[in-house]
Amino acid sequence: MSLPCGTRNHNYAEDMAIVRTKTHRVLIIGLLVIIFTAPLYFSNYWLGVFNLIGITLIAAIGLNILVGYCGQLSIGHAGFIAVGAYTAAILTNRLEMPFLVGLIGAGVVSGLIGIIFGLPSVRVKGFYLAITTIAAQFIIIWVINHWGYTGGFLGIKVPYASIGGFVFRSESSQFYLIIIIAALCVFFAKNLARTKVGRAFIAIRDNDLAAEVMGINLLYYKLLAFFIGCFFAGIAGALLAHWIGFLNAEQFSFTESILYVGMIIIGGLGTSLGPIFGVVFIRILQQLLTVELVPFLESSFTMFPSGFATGITPMLFGLVIVLFLILEPRGLAHRWSLFKSAYRLWPFSY
Amino acid sequence: MAELLQFVITGISVGMVYALIALGFVLVWKSSSVANLALGQIVLISSWFTYSMLAQAELPVYIAFPIVILFALFLGWVIERFALRPLIAQPILSLITVTLGIGYFIEGVITFIWPWSVDALPRLFPKEVIHIGPAVISQEYVWVIVICLVVFVLLTAFFRYHRMGIAMRATADDQMAVQACGIPVTRVFSTSWMFACCVAAIGGVLISSIGGITHGLLETGLKAFSVVILGGLDSFAGAIIAGPIIGLCESLGGGYLTPYLWAGVKDIIPFVIIIIVMVIKPYGLFGEERIERI
Repeated sequence: MSLPCGTRNHNYAEDMAIVRTKTHRVLIIGLLVIIFTAPLYFSNYWLGVFNLIGITLIAAIGLNILVGYCGQLSIGHAGFIAVGAYTAAILTNRLEMPFLVGLIGAGVVSGLIGIIFGLPSVRVKGFYLAITTIAAQFIIIWVINHWGYTGGFLGIKVPYASIGGFVFRSESSQFYLIIIIAALCVFFAKNLARTKVGRAFIAIRDNDLAAEVMGINLLYYKLLAFFIGCFFAGIAGALLAHWIGFLNAEQFSFTESILYVGMIIIGGLGTSLGPIFGVVFIRILQQLLTVELVPFLESSFTMFPSGFATGITPMLFGLVIVLFLILEPRGLAHRWSLFKSAYRLWPFSY
Repeated sequence: MAELLQFVITGISVGMVYALIALGFVLVWKSSSVANLALGQIVLISSWFTYSMLAQAELPVYIAFPIVILFALFLGWVIERFALRPLIAQPILSLITVTLGIGYFIEGVITFIWPWSVDALPRLFPKEVIHIGPAVISQEYVWVIVICLVVFVLLTAFFRYHRMGIAMRATADDQMAVQACGIPVTRVFSTSWMFACCVAAIGGVLISSIGGITHGLLETGLKAFSVVILGGLDSFAGAIIAGPIIGLCESLGGGYLTPYLWAGVKDIIPFVIIIIVMVIKPYGLFGEERIERI
């Protein structure tokens, strides 16, 4: 069912190809063209939203590798993003390193911190691991808030990103930077799932004892999953730092971590398209709610105490997460594949 | 010396509240193996509800408190019936994230109804301070310890003598066997949720009577997890013993380490304990170590 009628795999290269049909190719190229010409027909405001979506997508892909493929539940993702963001900020602001060094450094440092907090995953799983990552989130944020080098509660300024003298100052230039890195990450994640490492992750997710018996090195692969997941978080954090230009630990709250888990669940765990759907869905919804609905409610219901409508956003997000878990646990990606197969078979039902 | 005694008593009393909240977690975990990560939000919303009853509706304490208990029971029933019952026998990942979703939802409800986010509960306990030896302690701490002990005794008696309590223990032991005996397991689940919310609400009222109602209570709910982890996930006795230990570590550490480390070290101690326990003895002091088979 994964291929349209009449498409056959005659050799290994065809079997492994990501783009298999002409329609496929046309659609992907069309999508890329639309994305890369987006600054022409969107205002700066929407480009900002897209930038946020791109950054969130990178982090969500990392979390999807960790939770969706490897099955190691992490509820401290915002903490790891914070590590990346602050590493980039310190490297570029305090030590005046170039942007690319900061970017890679952020990924590596975040990945290493991820490995440290991922160590208990060797012995425990499920709820225990969730609690460990929650603790990690709080410890990281506390250290950031109290360590003088990170700027503490006052926050820290981050210069614009720049590569070889070109400074990414405008919203559209940052859009290209972010979207290219995000596209590379999507491509990497898509391919990772089809390699030996990806298959090992899936085996560990399905049953880690069985995987160990079959000769998969649990310690190595679990920590690798933590490293990759947190590396992506670090990259996302660095981009976020350069995009916002100012960091404060409040941007990386525990609720943000929950939202990341919600995103990959709404999108579909353990699928390559899932994070994209989830991130776009949540971020657009968030934008509509906070920018359109909340001020509207605030101004039209003045008899309630001020600020009441800010509660709408978490309420709706919580509801969406619960409803998706109950009604569509496989997420939007599953709906999409259902739609695809129905489209291919039309007008027959099967 | 006076300082030490003060730290010990405040530590034990805050730790007792942690233990109470942790009991709410253990109850649900034992009967249905659902990890309730929405504890902090349940604590917060019941504190706010108490605030509404006492300060906004101006009811006397003896009417307001039963209403709060009823509210907590209702909250537990709603959560179990509408969010967790459809997810029975789902993987642990969904069970954990669904409680996160519930927590998020409750947080939104709190902001929606009480948007000013910080307030103080009306005084529940007498104002006079108590002198124990050289130490001066406000009376609340002693009352909190007493009330927590009473709740512990009541819960223990319930599990020992009441039919439902025995059914709940049996469900924790072997769900299949219980079903075969004709005990309605779903009702056991919903009772355990109702009880869990109830003890969490009592804990919330007690701790907010000491420190006021803030969003910090969400963290209190999370700190209760360190009690659960240290005591063992499926052990009532573990929670009751680990609670004061965590409370003591927090208040002694906060009292004596702050000059050497950064300020606010108090808030992080329970989380550090979680990591340490995870590395050394992940199943806690009294938890049952599960031996897994393929």
